[in-house]
Amino acid sequence: MSTSSGDELHDQYKDLFTQDGVLLKTSVGRPVSDFNSIGMLCIVQNADGTKCIEWRPNDLITIDSDTQDQEWAVVNTVGRRQRTLSGNITSDYANLRARIIKIPLDDLKTFRITRNNQQMQFSTKPGVWQNTFYFQHGNAEIFVAYLKNHLKTAKTRHDRNTYMVVEPNDESQVLNKSFAELDIFTENTTDVVWNLVSNFKQRPYETTLEAFSKLTDIVYYGNEDVNGKRDVSEEVADLLTKSMSALEDTTSVTRSDEYEVISVKPTLPPRPCIPRGSPLSTEKWDALQDADGRIVEVEGVKQLIFRGGVAHSIRSTVWKYLLDYFPWKMTHAELKTLQKRKTEEYFSMKLQWRSVTEGQENRFSEYRDRKSLVEKDVNRTDRTHPFFAGDNNPHLAVLQDILMTYVMYNFDLGYVQGMSDILAPLLLLLGNEVDSFWCFVGFMEKIASNFDMDQAGMKHQLLQLQQLLMFASPELAQHLSQKDSGNMYFCFRWLLVWFKREFSHIDIMRLWEVLWTGLPCANFHLLICVAILDAEKEVIISRDYGFTEILKHVNDLSMTLDVDRVLSSAEGIYHQIVSAPHLTDQIRIVLGIEPLNLSMSTNSDPEPSTSTLPSTKPSQVELKEGNGNTIFGQEMDEDVVVYNGLRITIVTKTVWALLA
Amino acid sequence: MATNRTGAAQRPNGAPQTKVCQFKLVLLGESAVGKSSLVLRFVKGQFHEYQESTIGAAFLTQAIRFDDTTVKFEIWDTAGQERYHSLAPMYYRGAQSAIVVYDITNQDTFGRAKNWVKELQRQASPSIVIALAGNKSDLAAKRMVEFEEAQAYADENGLLFMETSAKTAMNVNDIFLAIANKLPKSEAGAAGAAGGGRRLADGEQPRPSQCCK
Ligand SMILES: Nc1nc2c(ncn2[C@@H]2O[C@H](COP(=O)(O)OP(=O)(O)O)[C@@H](O)[C@H]2O)c(=O)[nH]1
Ligand SMILES: [Mg+2]
Repeated sequence: MSTSSGDELHDQYKDLFTQDGVLLKTSVGRPVSDFNSIGMLCIVQNADGTKCIEWRPNDLITIDSDTQDQEWAVVNTVGRRQRTLSGNITSDYANLRARIIKIPLDDLKTFRITRNNQQMQFSTKPGVWQNTFYFQHGNAEIFVAYLKNHLKTAKTRHDRNTYMVVEPNDESQVLNKSFAELDIFTENTTDVVWNLVSNFKQRPYETTLEAFSKLTDIVYYGNEDVNGKRDVSEEVADLLTKSMSALEDTTSVTRSDEYEVISVKPTLPPRPCIPRGSPLSTEKWDALQDADGRIVEVEGVKQLIFRGGVAHSIRSTVWKYLLDYFPWKMTHAELKTLQKRKTEEYFSMKLQWRSVTEGQENRFSEYRDRKSLVEKDVNRTDRTHPFFAGDNNPHLAVLQDILMTYVMYNFDLGYVQGMSDILAPLLLLLGNEVDSFWCFVGFMEKIASNFDMDQAGMKHQLLQLQQLLMFASPELAQHLSQKDSGNMYFCFRWLLVWFKREFSHIDIMRLWEVLWTGLPCANFHLLICVAILDAEKEVIISRDYGFTEILKHVNDLSMTLDVDRVLSSAEGIYHQIVSAPHLTDQIRIVLGIEPLNLSMSTNSDPEPSTSTLPSTKPSQVELKEGNGNTIFGQEMDEDVVVYNGLRITIVTKTVWALLA
Repeated sequence: MATNRTGAAQRPNGAPQTKVCQFKLVLLGESAVGKSSLVLRFVKGQFHEYQESTIGAAFLTQAIRFDDTTVKFEIWDTAGQERYHSLAPMYYRGAQSAIVVYDITNQDTFGRAKNWVKELQRQASPSIVIALAGNKSDLAAKRMVEFEEAQAYADENGLLFMETSAKTAMNVNDIFLAIANKLPKSEAGAAGAAGGGRRLADGEQPRPSQCCK
């Protein structure tokens, strides 16, 4: 680390403080290639007296030490004078120069220091951490100390590590004076602000930091001309109202001088309308097998099924593959053997519970309990469908037998409500006890975590859904949060039985077979949720639905949804998300896409060893810790390095609080 | 869905109502004892032999009218299986009343009902009004839980108690009425008037209200 006062020779442009060995971790609007490069973080005084924070990549600094300072002076002025590049500046150099990050102190709203004081993030716009730097040598403390020489800060109440910039420019005395009169930032009145903010019960999950930084925003730009004194609480009420509407304001304040393009409130690219295809036909299916019956083009088959589903006539065959009962690469002959073996296996498990005597059963409460749970649900599963209707319907006995055999297959999991819903369509289609059992096993394999004893799997999915919705439909996510529904619990039924209760039998077959392909990404079923919810956005928001109304509305969507439309818009949303320039690692991980930051944690790790990075290592997310109440570790909010991550992680914690 | 959001509702004699009270009620009890069936009978007057199991939670509303008071119930119907127990607090939190249901033909469900009562007494709002419902009273021939036993338990614990049948409708409205009667409505006048004094049509969404807390 080195400190240097400005070079006397260049009093027009001074480095007031420099800190080397600073890694650029993320920066809004920057090419990914810039990330993880090392550079120097400086506090700089410009020729016009204004100051800014600058980060310069090292490869730039090493160019020509003799002319360096001179060049900096040029660099500094180009932006304002619109001077074109010329003279001794090579185009390489111009490229490098374009990589300088400048944050005018006048624009700086908040900064925070995290990760053992080694990481520093800056924000010039509420709720968006545009730049994240990592101090490789030592920590950010000295930099912060110097920075505080040039601006007045206040720590936020709810986060000791976050500083609000109160007076970025100590030269603007006039403004200071009006602030002094307004008296809004003294200890007492910030209390008023905080009380109001925290009492603002409609937005309990809104990050308080964001709310506060919006307040500062409006104080600066909305009330500069306030001369007369107003009652502070009246002032604050105004500010709150404005800050609420500011949330809805999607216009992006984009500064576009040469050095910074700060994109604000990023919006998704338009949603492509992708028509559904026709179902995989018998002819195509036959053509995709070799002479011995092996499926030759598995990925192609899956693509076709994803596009259009499966023709009903071949469903019962294709499902066995999709549900991992039949391996794709087996010949007809091998499949025959397999089926024979699986049939024997099934009946030997069935025999196990069949041979339990009444006396045994009386002394075997765990078995008895499971049996009674199965009986209760079999009796009320899809009884309106002709296949299961009427008294003493023989198909009910088959449901019962399969579920009881599954209890023997996986006694620890046992029978959980919802499983009969999963099985019924399989039996309805396959019509055969053994095939239905093994397909059921395959389906359960995919969704076993839905039936976790402590609901961890469901909670995890609800959280991921919340994150996706926040990204893909932020206004709706915002509304839900305001209405105590940010935990997405109203989607519980959708997720638990994969929309079985929401669609007719014929439609659920289509939806399931598409979802079983695992295309186009992981957790596509969550995008189905997003698609359904997004279509209800107008209704939910414009009618100002609250907690109960949201749940009722969502429950009442059952049997009103068009499966093809839902699939098509879910796919459209998928494309919107993955092509969004502000796509975050958090979302990438949910969708099973390699996160960008992964290299950081696998290479020579500059991170403090104590803090893991759930956003890049999903496997480290602890799901069943302690008493089963806490799902994620506390460091979660520190670790999510995404632009809107702050809000999301606060909601995260709330989810657990609510569901615990 | 019928909605009538404007104007005070008229009683049959034409006099405007003055009080509307809104209460949150939660149904708890072992799976398949008839929670959903009781709600369906109360709210829609229907009974389905093959009522499907409840996944997650269902929400319905129903109003009862007294002379000068409309009591609106916000009813939360929950999934009964033990596996989903951890989600129940979400629903009984803030509830002013609860119906704990057991099946008179199944002794285990009565034991489970007692556990729910204990949990409510420990965790729910201290002023919660709890009713115990011994459902499926139409199946008296298969009775496993004696009326007297349940009545004695209810008396000990200060619970309302009735044997009900969602199938025959016996005591279904009555148990909701008994709860409505027992709920405090002292502050109802002002809040009710502020709420517009309207009776909710079936399916209409009530606004949250602080009434009758
Ligand atoms: N005979 C009889 N059956 C009932 C009664 N109430 C519910 N049931 C049946 O019991 C089963 C479970 O009812 P349900 O309302 O779904 O129970 P829940 O799981 O507690 O919601 C269904 O088959 C109902 O038809 C009743 O009062 N009498
Ligand atoms: Mg139910």
